[in-house]
Amino acid sequence: MPRKTVIIGGGAAGLGSAGGVKAADPGADVVVYTENEDVAYSPCGIPYVHGGEIPDFERLFLAGKQAYVDAGIDVHYETTVTAIDTAAHTVTVSGEGVVRYDQLIIATGWNYADPGVPGGDLGGLYFVKNIRRAMEWDKVISETKSAVVVEAGPLGIEMVTALAHRGVETHLIDPNPYALAMMADPDIMAPVEDSWRELGVHLHFNTTLEAFVGDDKGQVRAVRTSGGEIPADLVVISTHKTPNNALAEAAGIKVGSTGGLIVDERMKTSAPDVWAAGDAVEIPHGLTRTPLQGLTGSHAYAQGKTAGVNAGGGERAYRAVYVPWGTPAGKWVIGGASFGEATATALGIPYVLGVAEGISRARYYPGVQKVKVKLLAEPGTLRLIGAQMVGGGEGIKERADFLAQAIRFGMTLHDLSTMENVYSPAIGALNEPIVVAATNGVAEAARKKG
Amino acid sequence: MATSPGFFGWLRSNSEHYLLIAAHQKLAKAQGTPAPRAPRGVKEIFWLKVFAPTYGVLPWPLRSRIMRAMPGSHRKTWAPPPRPQGPAV
Repeated sequence: MPRKTVIIGGGAAGLGSAGGVKAADPGADVVVYTENEDVAYSPCGIPYVHGGEIPDFERLFLAGKQAYVDAGIDVHYETTVTAIDTAAHTVTVSGEGVVRYDQLIIATGWNYADPGVPGGDLGGLYFVKNIRRAMEWDKVISETKSAVVVEAGPLGIEMVTALAHRGVETHLIDPNPYALAMMADPDIMAPVEDSWRELGVHLHFNTTLEAFVGDDKGQVRAVRTSGGEIPADLVVISTHKTPNNALAEAAGIKVGSTGGLIVDERMKTSAPDVWAAGDAVEIPHGLTRTPLQGLTGSHAYAQGKTAGVNAGGGERAYRAVYVPWGTPAGKWVIGGASFGEATATALGIPYVLGVAEGISRARYYPGVQKVKVKLLAEPGTLRLIGAQMVGGGEGIKERADFLAQAIRFGMTLHDLSTMENVYSPAIGALNEPIVVAATNGVAEAARKKG
Repeated sequence: MATSPGFFGWLRSNSEHYLLIAAHQKLAKAQGTPAPRAPRGVKEIFWLKVFAPTYGVLPWPLRSRIMRAMPGSHRKTWAPPPRPQGPAV
């Protein structure tokens, strides 16, 4: 009799794990429960449809429902799992009753943190996540004159740009002194903020949300903040991601200090035959080993694959993370890996800094773009511990991926300052900005030592 | 639905939040970048004026040991970081 794997969640982690189970055990019964109407779409693409860079939402669908039927993956849409019994190896499913499993994979994802202010039940508050709702909200945006984006997290900064591109009077409020302050450095974000101002965006930093103010029809009409009231027809909530693991916690599965489920490198939880992946779990950082929660879709998918292969009887290990990241913001693209100055300073980790401003291709070649690279290294050894970048777009993602690997393998500023680089006028400059930043970092370390 | 954070969740969430604000303040002083607003109320004053400076004077190995002693995925089995190997050919 085939083994039955139940997967809770139809996002990147859930579907990655479904594929992982099938890869390890093609004969396995795989059932996915999702509360949504769809699976296999890219929620990360939603802001770019709102902004007009992508012409329609249909393009965000990666595969049709039939593809999963053909792959032998039984997806139950708009279906809620209400309880897990790890001792009995069962889940309770709305409308289906008690369902037995041999292996369970929890991929329940995340929710926005509750803003925790009055007026949270008003109409006009948009939590960007579900593609069907996004299609409806897109029509609302067309009618919107003034919008407030609450908090400058990764999704918030994408929505600020999107709304500005749509010609909406856009206000960003954030309790921090600059945008994306929980992960990026202020000098990296400064050009982004300037470009938002050029687009007409009103930035309200060091500003705390106090309430959503409604009209007599129950629709939001303003946002009250520590800096005064801002009129708004639409409010985009971009508070931080919190793990959606109440179901798992109620079943007694252990949770770490981040609120994410505790897993090992095989994505195994504390319960027998139960795996977990994606935003519901926490993963150790490769350098400090302190756990992190709320990474990217690519992390979720890879974790899902790992959980699925292991649940299917195979053998695969996930690794501690160095977190390459990047995103368009305003007219710039920002990115990095591991620590920046703000996060290293917060943890009290000493560093030597190497900074350079370079270009993405030959200076005479059309489309050349500025690239700023900052490298952080451990004093003494000059081993790389982090990087942040801002540029016109070209190569930021590839540099972030490369630098995460450089950190992982213990490369030093000496290694990077003698790195070879591609030179071809249309795609790469003579001086690679990483090499120049590393060289400057070596010089800075020598200056401090001497 | 969010879960209850427990003591370690409470400690992690607050220390992460306020240590980052203290870092923004340090960077603002050193580099002239935008500074956070001044702390208000007993809670903010405690975390920013008592906790953050105390954390700051502890040596990194001790801080790291305390963080690693907290419950979490880091205390399960994870492969050590990879080491560079010799030439492939």
